[in-house]
Amino acid sequence: MSTVPASPLHRRSPSALLLGRLQVVLMLTLVLLPIAWMLLASFKHSVDVMTLPPRLFTAPTLDNYRELFGRTDFLHNTWNSLVVAFGATLLGLVLAIPAAFAISWHRMTWPATLTLFARMAPGTLFLLPWFVLFSKLDLVGSYTVLILTHGAITVPVALWTLLPYFDGVPRALIESGQIDGCRPHAILLRIVLPLVVPGIMVAAILCFVFTWNYFLFALALSGFDTKTAIVASFNFVGEGVTNWGALMAAASMIAMPPLVLALLVQRRLVSGLALGAVKG
Amino acid sequence: MKSIVAAPAAASPAGIAQRPHPGLGQRSLSLAWMMWPAVSFVGAMIVFPLAYAVWISLYDASLGAEPRFVGLGNYLGLLRDPEFRNAFKVTWLLYAAALAMQLVLGTWLGVVLNGVRWARNLVCTIAITPFMLPPVVVGMMAMVLLDPSVGIVNWLIGLIGMPPQLWLAHPTWVLASVALVDTWQWAPFVALLVLGGLQSLPVSVFEAAEVDGVIGWRRFVFVTLPLLGPTLLTAAVLRSVDLLRFFDLVFIATRGGPGNASTTMNMYAYQQGFEFSRFGWASASMITLSLVVLCTVVVFARLRRAVSW
Repeated sequence: MSTVPASPLHRRSPSALLLGRLQVVLMLTLVLLPIAWMLLASFKHSVDVMTLPPRLFTAPTLDNYRELFGRTDFLHNTWNSLVVAFGATLLGLVLAIPAAFAISWHRMTWPATLTLFARMAPGTLFLLPWFVLFSKLDLVGSYTVLILTHGAITVPVALWTLLPYFDGVPRALIESGQIDGCRPHAILLRIVLPLVVPGIMVAAILCFVFTWNYFLFALALSGFDTKTAIVASFNFVGEGVTNWGALMAAASMIAMPPLVLALLVQRRLVSGLALGAVKG
Repeated sequence: MKSIVAAPAAASPAGIAQRPHPGLGQRSLSLAWMMWPAVSFVGAMIVFPLAYAVWISLYDASLGAEPRFVGLGNYLGLLRDPEFRNAFKVTWLLYAAALAMQLVLGTWLGVVLNGVRWARNLVCTIAITPFMLPPVVVGMMAMVLLDPSVGIVNWLIGLIGMPPQLWLAHPTWVLASVALVDTWQWAPFVALLVLGGLQSLPVSVFEAAEVDGVIGWRRFVFVTLPLLGPTLLTAAVLRSVDLLRFFDLVFIATRGGPGNASTTMNMYAYQQGFEFSRFGWASASMITLSLVVLCTVVVFARLRRAVSW
């Protein structure tokens, strides 16, 4: 990787170096402070959360988590979130992997453009017709409807993330597989798939995070038994903020999976989020 | 369906089965069928609802009433509706403020990140965290941190002698607060795009600039920034698509209020559709919003073609 400011002619002066470090520290502080505050508050007694000037180091307590998991259905809601997120991720990958293979091989552009239009429309636009459709099919409130609707997010995301990886597979490899008499699905499964495993990892993580984070579809289409953790914590907000400690505990719990997954793939996420517009 | 690879050749004159040799003139590999599952899924889940929404937007359809065809009546009504006009104005104000902050701060952060030598991967990973967080979490954090009476932000600005603000509860400042929170979440995303752009720039240009004595600020303004043009426009397009459809944060933290001070077009459409059950009207406003997004993207795409080098 070439790095621009490392110039062969000018060494950076110590003061410039210090200024650069200060800016990095400032940036990291601004980014991390709210997150740290949330985590810290989730381990405080509710009274201490609202004390000003803030008490940084109070005796940590698990009361908030105890209340969250003991008095509410949050554990069950988390389970629902996991089912929907895994289901939608699997659906997205199963549909997008062969599609990305075909689109990349035939160098087509229209399917990608089609899904891009889907990304430009607001989610609310789809919600109304879906609600009418799935009410008629008596599916509202089921896992099926949640997985299908979030599939409308994961299929385009997986497709856009995977395409550059499939484009990177040498065509000669596929042609030689064909000459050796491989059927298309065997070419995909035995030759191409092992080469795009990193892409599939990134796509899977993005699909999971997008489904996990998206609340609108689950808000409107989940039932009492299938309510996801995001919707449940959204309802905590709606009920009026009374117990901020428990609220921050819920926020910390639902923030964990995306953060941990983001750590795993790091910057490769950015090119996936940029819909292939840039290669990060 | 499955006979896509050349079928076994007819028995050769000698009667020996020959392997087909896919040379010139042979059927080439056709994989089109592999995308049909995905295309049919997208058709059922995305194209069908779109078509349904367009159709219902031509009707006066509300809960419990017989749908009545009104043609473009809903769209014309929207143009005259003061609430929708307000939503239009709110959307663009929020868009302009947030996009400007995110591009400026994102560029700054990108340049800063590019200068990081030590623990670069760790710093970049930390920069990813805000935009990986669920919007609900960001909304909750914003509500707790920006609370007028017990939020820490008011206490912090009190330390430097500033009066406490209402933030999300103030009719004027609510938009600035929301834009600020969104910037906290997405400026790092712009920064990572800028970082990717910086790393792909030709080093020779910078060396030439240095030989000519163009360094420091002047190098940034006259060399780096123009070269970053395409990257910044890409970032602007990606952020525009999200910002024009701004919904999550206002839905969670302000409910479009106080009053309708933070009711964006998307929020307006949601309220009309799901709170007032005016399905035709809501669909018309959602389609109008989609067209606004589409037009903006097209404009940016033209611009990007103009500045690419």
